[in-house]
Amino acid sequence: MEMNDEARSTSGGMTALKPETVTAVLVLLSAVVMMLAMKLVNPTFGSVEQLAAILTTSIFLVVASYGQGLVILLGGIDLSIGVVMSISGMMIAGLTNGSNEALFWALPITLVTCLAVGLISGLGVALLKIPPFIMTLAMGTTFFGVALGVTAGSSQRTVAPMLQSLMSARLAGIPFPILFILCFLIAGSLLQSRTAAGRKLYAIGSSMVAARIVGLPVATITVAAYAVSGLGAGLAGILLAGYSSSATLDMGDPFLMPTIAAVVIGGACVTGGRGIYFGTFAGAIFLSVLSTIITMLSLSQGWRNIIQGGIIVIALILQTKQWYLFSMVNRQLTRKRPIYTGQPQNSET
Amino acid sequence: MSSSGPILQASNLIKRYGATVALDEVSFSLYPGEVCGLLGENGAGKSTLVKILSGIVVSDAGEMILNRSLYQPRTIVDAKALGLSTAFQELSLVPTLSVAVNLFLPKPKVNALHLVSMRSIEEEAAAVLNEYGIFDVSPSAIVADLPLGMRQRIEIVRAMLVKPRVLLLDEATAALSDREWLFGLIAKFIAKSASILYVTHRLDEVRRLCERCIILRNGKKVFDASTTGMTEDEVFSQMAGRSVVENYPARESTIDESAPPALAACDLSSTQITGVTFAIRRGEILGVAALEGQGQSNLFKTLVGLAPVKRGHIEVDGKKVALKSPRAARSAGMVLVPEERKSEGLFKDLSTSANVSIPVISRATTFDFIRKGREQKLVEQGAGLVDLHRRFLRPNIDALSGGNQQKAILARSLLSGPKCLLLFDPTRGVDVGTKHNIYRVIRGFAREGGSALFYSTELDELVHLCDRCIVLYRGAIVAELRAEELAPELLLSIAAGHRSQADRAWLADNSANGVSV
Amino acid sequence: MSQPIRDRGRPLPSSAFAGLLCLAMYAVYFFKTPSAFSLTGVTDLLNNTVVLALAASGLTLVILAAELDLSSVGVIAVTNVVVATISTKLPAGAFLSLLAVCLLGCLAGLLNGWLVAFLGLQSLACTLGTMIVCEGMALLILDAPGGEVDAFIMNRLTDTFFAVIPVALLIMGLVVVLWLLFRQTRIGIAIYAIGADPVASRLSGLDVRWTKLIVFTLAGIAYALAGYMLSAQTGTGDPRVSNSFLLYAFAAVAIGGTALGGGRGGVVGSVIGAALLTVMQKLLFALGVAEFYTNIFNGVVMVAAILFGNLSAFVALHQRVRMAAR
Repeated sequence: MEMNDEARSTSGGMTALKPETVTAVLVLLSAVVMMLAMKLVNPTFGSVEQLAAILTTSIFLVVASYGQGLVILLGGIDLSIGVVMSISGMMIAGLTNGSNEALFWALPITLVTCLAVGLISGLGVALLKIPPFIMTLAMGTTFFGVALGVTAGSSQRTVAPMLQSLMSARLAGIPFPILFILCFLIAGSLLQSRTAAGRKLYAIGSSMVAARIVGLPVATITVAAYAVSGLGAGLAGILLAGYSSSATLDMGDPFLMPTIAAVVIGGACVTGGRGIYFGTFAGAIFLSVLSTIITMLSLSQGWRNIIQGGIIVIALILQTKQWYLFSMVNRQLTRKRPIYTGQPQNSET
Repeated sequence: MSSSGPILQASNLIKRYGATVALDEVSFSLYPGEVCGLLGENGAGKSTLVKILSGIVVSDAGEMILNRSLYQPRTIVDAKALGLSTAFQELSLVPTLSVAVNLFLPKPKVNALHLVSMRSIEEEAAAVLNEYGIFDVSPSAIVADLPLGMRQRIEIVRAMLVKPRVLLLDEATAALSDREWLFGLIAKFIAKSASILYVTHRLDEVRRLCERCIILRNGKKVFDASTTGMTEDEVFSQMAGRSVVENYPARESTIDESAPPALAACDLSSTQITGVTFAIRRGEILGVAALEGQGQSNLFKTLVGLAPVKRGHIEVDGKKVALKSPRAARSAGMVLVPEERKSEGLFKDLSTSANVSIPVISRATTFDFIRKGREQKLVEQGAGLVDLHRRFLRPNIDALSGGNQQKAILARSLLSGPKCLLLFDPTRGVDVGTKHNIYRVIRGFAREGGSALFYSTELDELVHLCDRCIVLYRGAIVAELRAEELAPELLLSIAAGHRSQADRAWLADNSANGVSV
Repeated sequence: MSQPIRDRGRPLPSSAFAGLLCLAMYAVYFFKTPSAFSLTGVTDLLNNTVVLALAASGLTLVILAAELDLSSVGVIAVTNVVVATISTKLPAGAFLSLLAVCLLGCLAGLLNGWLVAFLGLQSLACTLGTMIVCEGMALLILDAPGGEVDAFIMNRLTDTFFAVIPVALLIMGLVVVLWLLFRQTRIGIAIYAIGADPVASRLSGLDVRWTKLIVFTLAGIAYALAGYMLSAQTGTGDPRVSNSFLLYAFAAVAIGGTALGGGRGGVVGSVIGAALLTVMQKLLFALGVAEFYTNIFNGVVMVAAILFGNLSAFVALHQRVRMAAR
């Protein structure tokens, strides 16, 4: 038995790479491959401005899918992100109405509201034991109704100019959004993978029963995850409003499914416990590239949906093969054959 | 035993799971009309062999011959059709369906319209139950409502119902209080020249039923011969590779008589337990003996805050406490090492190191950010307590063997500095070497002043490791025995709710010593 | 063991309570809108119910098997636009489009079933993906609401049979009868078993994977029929999916007493749940409630339905425990 454990452990620790990191890198590479393929079809594709534009427009998905990733880590899902983004955009536009000074208080109010929506979802899931997809779908529908009621008949408001110019600003020649997403990647990864709260999140997602027995604050962390998801959607909505200069009640809708797709493509396990933000980030970039290509090819909305849905299913299928992928890559990188070829299961004998 | 050829023959069966070899060229034969015992420590390969014979799992190499033809079942239905039927240790009854439906799954009889008539299968079931000597359950009863002992009987009847040539009984008496019923059925069964492979770890049953035994150790067959005349210690040493005495650390007197009891239950009642009263002093190991499903699981759950207290209360260090959750229990100093390691103990997606540090991770943080160095120190400290080698800390915990996983869980439990360890069958699925290790850890913990409540399905462990032992039957304590009085067969008989003449006499002799029954 | 352990008797099914609530709601509705209490009014009400009832019935099967299915709205969208495009263009359009949609539903269900049961994908994420793909296909066939449904479908299916019984009622009745027969078949029993305890089911010899495949396929056909009835109702095709409808389908199943965890419940409850939700919606409309309130209502109802389902499960358990103590 000792011998066998030794065999397992050395091959498990062969490289410092985790399967999740490998997946994320592969996803980014696929995005690059897609761009190269597109360049072959359309030689004008691929200018620096175009790439910058792709990265800039990826900011909404990058920010919104952070929270989705946290919630999925718990084994849940957040179907209210689209609506919260729309509400956030409408709120910031409505409250600032073209004035920069109003931004000072409009920003916190908007963010707090979005946080509250997430908080309520979290409470429903954690305390009332309502299945996450229902709770968040219901919250989304309910708050859409609230927003509809509040904004009905009111005229279009414009967003504070400062916000608009922020999205097109440049710092040392690099567009602000690109700097933002890089900082967000670092901060998000640190928070998710390097804090005690993040560790507890992974534990709860891995086994809620074990988490309870070990005394982890399951309810608190659950509520916090959904609250952060609401906050992230709120931030994304504000950025979106800044980018579009105005806000409509359905502007967040096209982003909901992509957040889920980004998390799944990034290698996170939908039943929870596995996945890193770098993966979600890579998934978001991948989808932004894909979206740009779809637009350039003038594909209709129908094809867009088919591709999006198909990608989710394919990513799920690939995930079941993730381990094989990893040991293949592992083999190449270390030039040694792993001592076993299948799943490193421990089976009771 | 008949002189004709074997009914079942297995040659060179090999089964690997990753890097572990669960079965290493195991060969054996089973003859008509015999009851052959299959013994082995946890992790020896018994359950893998059972799975291969039953058609759940396919071996990697080797072949089997049943009734003189090649036996390669792909499913349980295959195996049954070919003449081999199994009564599983993890009962295979569907809890929400009735007894009648369960008896005839997967293919209950249908009428001309392809519909199952509940009435007719219930009539059929009633006849079957009577035939097998079960008169106290209605065929329409829902399985979930039945006590575990009854469920085990139905599991056995279902396996026998198809009149197999070979019957596999896997720990069939774990929850039975009336074993004679089963022994009677077995006698009738083998009289018809069918055979039984009897998996057990109860040596007294081996003596009663089996003329021959196969013993597995570390995936290999180490013994295949008649066991009549062998002593229990001889059989044990074949299974474990060491003698009983060597296996356990010497009992020391580590009990602190002066301090208030570390843990006391006072007339505690909850679902499935009534009026449980006991006290564990500092430095004491209190054992719990019980058949399956007698309320021990609920007792542990209640003590750690997972089940609500209906009556009575719990005291820690002499003070009454209300344990609303395992979190509260932990702050009060009570830590549970749970029953189901895979589903209740491990965080299978995390590394071993993360599994060990998770409850006390805040000790290694600054502003909630984890400091790798401090975490590593913490984990190594824990691993040192249980003799878990450093090289097992980095990999994912599901890459470790059952024994090392259990060590990791123990390390985690000890790191929080608990007052009382609640250990629920901690050596289940653990190899011999690690068991030895775990016994030393528990005794060491007691030496340092900790207390332990220790439930085990292996009576040997209770006999050799505990300072005192309570016996739980139908949710209530029916006996409390001191170390000197502990003997496996006595424990088993009390746990089954029996009082034979001999027991009564023995106990009467010892009543002066304060044994309460 | 003096008394034999009998069947403890079945506690009142939770669908009974939903049924009572439904009747009460019907009473309130007819009281509020006396004009609705006529053959045309009732037919109209039942026509609105039947789409949800069919979708919820299919969903019930999947949930009984302890899986989830979000693809109902996608399949409904695709089948709706198919009927709207081909039923008037082909001879015997009504019949052929019925065949076509059944085939579509069957294929969608087979795909879902294969992905979940044989490839082992998690059902929530997987059916979410197939739902989006179906929506995409619907948009490809018809990129905006339009098309035309054959007159036969529109008129006969929303009408009454011999001017006495609404066709919708007959259809729902047929569904209930088929279900009551189905749950007595081997596969029907198998579905309850694998939903309650897949491990024990496997050890008992049941084939979990094939059972799940059949479940998803039957659900797909049910969704397709729901789409067909939707075409009959609206007379046009609409490629867009409605999130509220998805919520309602789950609400109907939950109210009807089917546990989201599987192994417990049935189609009868879901049909009652569908009737209850539809009459509540119509009541709100009759009361002149503004649209945005209905959105809020949808969300709240959904959560309430789940809580109601949990509560009735709790009560049922409590009843069992009390009966056992007798």
